[in-house]
Amino acid sequence: MIPPHTSRVVELKIPSELGYERVAREAAATVARRLGFSPERIEELKTAVDEACSNAIRHGGKSDARMKVIVVLTADETKLDILVKDPGIGDSPPSEVVAPDIQAQVEGRDPKGGLGLWLIRQMVDEAYFVEDEESGGSQFRMIIYRVTGEGTSALSDVSQSVVDEGTLPDEW
Amino acid sequence: MNGEIRVTVRFEKGATIIDLAGDVTTFAEEAIHKAYQDASSDGARNIIFNFREGDYINSAGIAILIGIVTEARKRDQRLLMTGLSSHFQKIFRMVGLTQYADLYPTLEDALASLDVEYQGNETG
Repeated sequence: MIPPHTSRVVELKIPSELGYERVAREAAATVARRLGFSPERIEELKTAVDEACSNAIRHGGKSDARMKVIVVLTADETKLDILVKDPGIGDSPPSEVVAPDIQAQVEGRDPKGGLGLWLIRQMVDEAYFVEDEESGGSQFRMIIYRVTGEGTSALSDVSQSVVDEGTLPDEW
Repeated sequence: MNGEIRVTVRFEKGATIIDLAGDVTTFAEEAIHKAYQDASSDGARNIIFNFREGDYINSAGIAILIGIVTEARKRDQRLLMTGLSSHFQKIFRMVGLTQYADLYPTLEDALASLDVEYQGNETG
């Protein structure tokens, strides 16, 4: 039997227009706060969600406000799973993510920017594109654990607090 | 939903201070570049970007700052950055911006560092 309150889902639908990523970012932060994430992890989450939604708006939705970007936040006792879905009318997702060479950018050898996906990878525990054959759009999934390294066995004994093992707070 | 930012330029103790109040995103590009160009055309040598802790900076904002350090390098200007939260200090280090701009916790710390250097140059 599945214990009660093991996961909760928040779903947002925002216009594909830059600026609305802020709504998703703050919603994700609110969810993480209720889960007992540390302030540092919440800041990392905010950066990851903001960048993922900005990418979905600019590339997947071509900044067309008639299109929608959907953000699904699924929380359980240890982690937050974030799925960002875009209409897929723009560019295809990149096949690889390279670390930015700021020296090359400053010296004009590389174009400026292109930091978003790389930054996301530094902020969360898992991040990858998911094929969405049903809708034809793009999906980007991120997982961030409440405690750094919680998803790996080597660090699984890192102390946890605030949220009792196995359940979410009652007010959730 | 455009993020609003207020950018002002002032002068203190021989430094040009660019105060940023608001999120540093793609919507801030024009205001930040204008402030920087105004400061540079006035002959600024030491420019302090004074962020307001609690404001948000995304990758588009970082790209704007990379553009500024590119210009500053050509003009042989020194860039200092203050007021950043520990999260954004970490990101600036990760990205490599700290190769081109010195980070200080507060505006006072940044001004003090310039004052020390100025006095050092006077006596040296």
